[in-house]
Amino acid sequence: MAIINLKKLLQRKDITELIGGLIVSIGVNVCIKDGAGTILYGTGGDDLSGLPITVDGQTVGWIYGENVSKIASTASLLNYIVGAEAQKKALATETLDKYSELTMLYDFVEKVNAFNVKEIADFLIKHVSEQIRADNVSVMLTDEITGMLELIAERGSVGAQMSAVGIAGIVMSSCKSEIINDCRCDPRCAMETGGVSSLICSPIKAKEKALGIVIASTTEPYNYTADDLNFFCTLVSQAAFAIDNARLYESLKEAFIKTVYTLAETIEKRDPYTGGHTKRVMNYSVAIAENLGISAGDKERLELASVLHDIGKIGVSDNVLRKTAKLTDEEFEEIKTHTTCGRDILSYIEELKGIIPGVKSHHERFDGRGYPDKLKGLEIDMIARIIAVADTFDAMTSDRPYRKGLPFNTALQELRKCSGTQFDPTVVEAFFKAVDNNKINPENQEKYIRGDNNDACNSDSR
Amino acid sequence: MPAILIADDEQHIRMLIEQTLESLEDEGVDILAAQNGEEALETIKEKRPELVFLDVMMPKMNGFDVCNTVKNTLGMKGVYIIMLTAKGQEFDKEKGAESGCDLYITKPFSPKELKSKAREILGL
Repeated sequence: MAIINLKKLLQRKDITELIGGLIVSIGVNVCIKDGAGTILYGTGGDDLSGLPITVDGQTVGWIYGENVSKIASTASLLNYIVGAEAQKKALATETLDKYSELTMLYDFVEKVNAFNVKEIADFLIKHVSEQIRADNVSVMLTDEITGMLELIAERGSVGAQMSAVGIAGIVMSSCKSEIINDCRCDPRCAMETGGVSSLICSPIKAKEKALGIVIASTTEPYNYTADDLNFFCTLVSQAAFAIDNARLYESLKEAFIKTVYTLAETIEKRDPYTGGHTKRVMNYSVAIAENLGISAGDKERLELASVLHDIGKIGVSDNVLRKTAKLTDEEFEEIKTHTTCGRDILSYIEELKGIIPGVKSHHERFDGRGYPDKLKGLEIDMIARIIAVADTFDAMTSDRPYRKGLPFNTALQELRKCSGTQFDPTVVEAFFKAVDNNKINPENQEKYIRGDNNDACNSDSR
Repeated sequence: MPAILIADDEQHIRMLIEQTLESLEDEGVDILAAQNGEEALETIKEKRPELVFLDVMMPKMNGFDVCNTVKNTLGMKGVYIIMLTAKGQEFDKEKGAESGCDLYITKPFSPKELKSKAREILGL
């Protein structure tokens, strides 16, 4: 029960009037003191008889008068007022507690859906720790392949989750939350409690299935209440939705990326002379990008674009694509259409629209003499400028039916020579940095060629 | 004795903020309340609180007008004014800046943050 400040209460206008009026009407000298003996109303009191003012058996003040029977009604009234005030305060405290919980839930629900699984786990732990007493909070999820519970995130004393081996299994299979306030004596806990005294454990439940568990525990004995459990479960269930969504999103994304790779592989299979080319261009592109400080989003676009840069070759006829002799002008015009054809194919897939400039413009030249749009300098998409270097370098170093590939160092000199005319100098610079850092070297390049295709042939980068 | 004024027409919000700041009373802070804009303005003029929580939507005089009068007309720049605005009802930042308010907080507010903000402003 809340402690009542009698002084503050007596200062309230309505109460001052009420008590003052009553005291005047009984016509005797009255004194009111607080629990510490400080006079709050009237004077004296020492020689008078007094009655206590109490709330729940606790004395918060005294009322003194010449005649106890005369002040009895005033004392009753004061007791009543103080009691009512205490109740009001208790309610206000309770309301404030609920309001705090609600505010936090509001905040939690609003933000939790924007995260990936690890971030959701961390966010959940942060909120649980703020509201519930715990020395350790751990989030564990079942690994989709091994079926084992894996620790995703934890805060607090290390290793406390190990004690939960027993209880984790029970909660996972029953799909019901548990409070264990005395782990040392509870048969549901493992023999080794790992220093855990009390715990709350709740399943991360999505579509009636437990994906994992969350455990909050203390090292000293603590009495978790039904209120704690309620709040804990509410947070966990919100996090469960978010985790389920994040996992779905991640698996969709993975399926999408695999589809893209399959598509690229399909094209490459049609043109047997360029085996492994796609993979090498992607590796070179990524190595270059690491030295350019591009954003995570751009890096993702670059990976997809480098894999799909030749997708438009599906529209080039076999006799041109597989021709080993020098191409006629007309045939070369047909080859050139693979850039715009790539754009047309990709435009059907909303998620791939962002990589169209990278695919379409990978044969543009920095000096504006490339194709299909004769773009110049920074007009050319950055991703296309990176792919141009990676693509040409791989074409130069690969063997073709009518010529052997250039040695690694000769190709490097060639790149340097074309920097500023065919290629963006910044990108060439980044390529050389990758060579310096050994991210690009003759060994890994040769390995790709040998590993991927033994009868490596065909023309220059077309 | 430093003072804080809570001005909101909704009784439960006043009660929640009072309860949030209650422990500051033990440190000698006076907590005052007002139910509408006019009452808030009168209390500010009379008691000169250091900190005011001012609801935007109030009968008789809205929060922006109260703040504008206090800060600009009366020139009481030293009063720290925090506007309270309901979630979903976008806070008009332009009006807020014009009126000279120091900060705005959306309801539902976090009691913990509100209290630490109050302590910081009063230098406790």
